Amino acid sequence: MGAGVGSGLLHGGWEFVIAAYVVSAVVYVGYLASVHFRYRDERRQAARDGGVSRSAHE
Amino acid sequence: MSERLLPTPKDTAAPYLCAGFGLLLLVWGSYWGLALAPREEYMGDVQRIMYVHVPTAWNAMLALTFTFVCALFFLLRGDWRWDARLEAGMEVGTVLSALLCMQGAIWAKPTWGVWWDWDPRLTTTAVMVFAFAGVLALRRFVDDPVKRAVWSAVACIVASVDVPIVYFSVKWWNSLHQLQSTPQTVSSAFHWPLRINAFGVLFLMIGLITLRTRTALLRLHGELAPPPPAPLPTSAALEAS
Repeated sequence: MGAGVGSGLLHGGWEFVIAAYVVSAVVYVGYLASVHFRYRDERRQAARDGGVSRSAHE
Repeated sequence: MSERLLPTPKDTAAPYLCAGFGLLLLVWGSYWGLALAPREEYMGDVQRIMYVHVPTAWNAMLALTFTFVCALFFLLRGDWRWDARLEAGMEVGTVLSALLCMQGAIWAKPTWGVWWDWDPRLTTTAVMVFAFAGVLALRRFVDDPVKRAVWSAVACIVASVDVPIVYFSVKWWNSLHQLQSTPQTVSSAFHWPLRINAFGVLFLMIGLITLRTRTALLRLHGELAPPPPAPLPTSAALEAS
């Protein structure tokens, strides 16, 4: 571990910083891709079903 | 509940542009936070994690508050658009909250010496993640759209009780987690990367919620559309009967 603990001051710790940014990037981009692909699939499904109706029925 | 108008979602590029702009801001803010902002006196470089952790926290709370508003509006108005927005806001808010816990754990290890502690702020945040994930799971298991919408709106309101508790937990209890940062408690040298990333996550979140709402609306169209009419009987079938 690069972060020194004991003096009250932290030194180093870049591996934690990089890990936090990499995890954030993976989650943001991965989730955006997931939302995009689900939207695309739903649009294709709607097109196969002959479009969408204008009103909803219970 | 009476018949409600369910508009066809517009297929514009606006949410992609919004999310793309958010990502650009995040890249800019992160570069500033990693390369240009000074080291913090006590936490050193580890403090740079705050530039992604704090904006994620703010926007997760915002998304889940939006979800609470959607649940109220759906129950009061019975408009399906609010149900679609509820689903979108809840999913995005839950993803951001889960990411928040991961970022917090990565920051906690070098500063607290542990990945996790059952501190009030962390515990209430974990409860929040699991409560909203549970409501999302409930939506997956209920096929009837009306029951699904009403049950999840009620469950969402119950789960939302935890959101202000998360926010105030550091004030109400003597917590290991520090108090909320404000412009008065954060040096001006740290303001800009924090703000740029906060707006980056905000724009990304708006784009994601808009896209996810469209997906939910399209699925609702399929579920709520009247079934196709039965084929007319042929003359042979009529003669046989």
